[in-house]
Amino acid sequence: MSRLAVSTLHDVLRKSFASLESSQKLWISVLAECSLLMVSLGNLAEQWRALCGVRISNTPLRGFPDLENRLRSKLLEATDTVLVKLNEKMFSLQSIRDSISNQVSAVLQLYEQNADSLDLLAVTERSTTTPSVADMLEWLQDAERHYRVQFLRRKTLLQTLRADDLQFLESAPKRWKSLDSPGAQEQITDTLCKVSFFLESR
Amino acid sequence: MEGGTVVMSAVRKSSMVTGSGRKIKDNAADWHNLMKRWDKLNDEGFDVATNIVNLRRSQSDHLLLENSSSSSSSSSAQQVGGVSELEDECFKLQEVINKMVAVVTKMEHLMKLQQGIEDLEEFQFKGEGRKAPLFHTWNTKQFGAVSRVLFDSFSEELKLKQTILQELAHTSSSDLCMVYLSSWLHQPFIPTHTRLTLEALLLETGHRPL
Repeated sequence: MSRLAVSTLHDVLRKSFASLESSQKLWISVLAECSLLMVSLGNLAEQWRALCGVRISNTPLRGFPDLENRLRSKLLEATDTVLVKLNEKMFSLQSIRDSISNQVSAVLQLYEQNADSLDLLAVTERSTTTPSVADMLEWLQDAERHYRVQFLRRKTLLQTLRADDLQFLESAPKRWKSLDSPGAQEQITDTLCKVSFFLESR
Repeated sequence: MEGGTVVMSAVRKSSMVTGSGRKIKDNAADWHNLMKRWDKLNDEGFDVATNIVNLRRSQSDHLLLENSSSSSSSSSAQQVGGVSELEDECFKLQEVINKMVAVVTKMEHLMKLQQGIEDLEEFQFKGEGRKAPLFHTWNTKQFGAVSRVLFDSFSEELKLKQTILQELAHTSSSDLCMVYLSSWLHQPFIPTHTRLTLEALLLETGHRPL
């Protein structure tokens, strides 16, 4: 009875880790795209700051009386475009988070359903190629928490940004970078290494 | 003469466009090509302008270092090298501007051609205008209006770039340098809807499918 439950769980765990592997790759690539957009945002904030620090009428550009308004318009447009793209990236991150959350929910549900037929030995038993069910459940939950928290923090940061709010725009790239969690990311990579033999076995 | 102007149905047979319609359609293609050329020059110019600002900045840093420590012959050799590099970049930017002047001159020519077509139509149809549009919906005057708007935008933008060229290498204020670079890049006198205007022109003349 226990063996069957463990075997069923193993199947679902394999699917979950395979999904985690592809999700992690996608997550990293979307974050890299966001970093580039953040660099653009930083550049635009620098341009805004410079325009605020200059009185056009005191410069050789005084021959273009409506230059300042036109340039402001263009900067606003460019900033808005970057913010829209960042929000689109957020949708991608959200979808990755949801996919992992759903996967982990399904695994945990299956575990709950079979809990009666799974004794302590069954869930803690491990071999050279197969980690224990308990460990694998823990690793999945850790990964799910990481993506959930990361998404929430990044989404919250983006919600503070407005195209016309220079202060927040200037500090955005630094604040975005500070949300990086290389330790947690490494842990997920580590997990995937630990389950690599398990994923290959059948 | 205008006897050859036969536009049966621009939707079905745009290849049959002759006379004024042919000229207007060719002009539209020319506008598209000129704007593409302009965009390429703008990108090129921006890279050069950025180099000028960076060179200027490193020159100022050098000067600061020299003033605070005792000067040596090697650092003055570096200075000379830096100056000649700056001159080269300024020369490159001048070349970009020269090419942009050529583009705007061609745009002016297109605008005048369009005016010529309007004048001819005025003469032919005795001020009553054509009964049917040459293409889909635009009357001939609309093509002229579009040409004028486009030409005005690009020629004002060119004046701005010429000012930037004159001032960029002589500006010590880093904020103002940034404003110059920003102005070059974002082209404040060419509003975003200019691109849409071009697309509308290409749609009307059948260069883009409806």
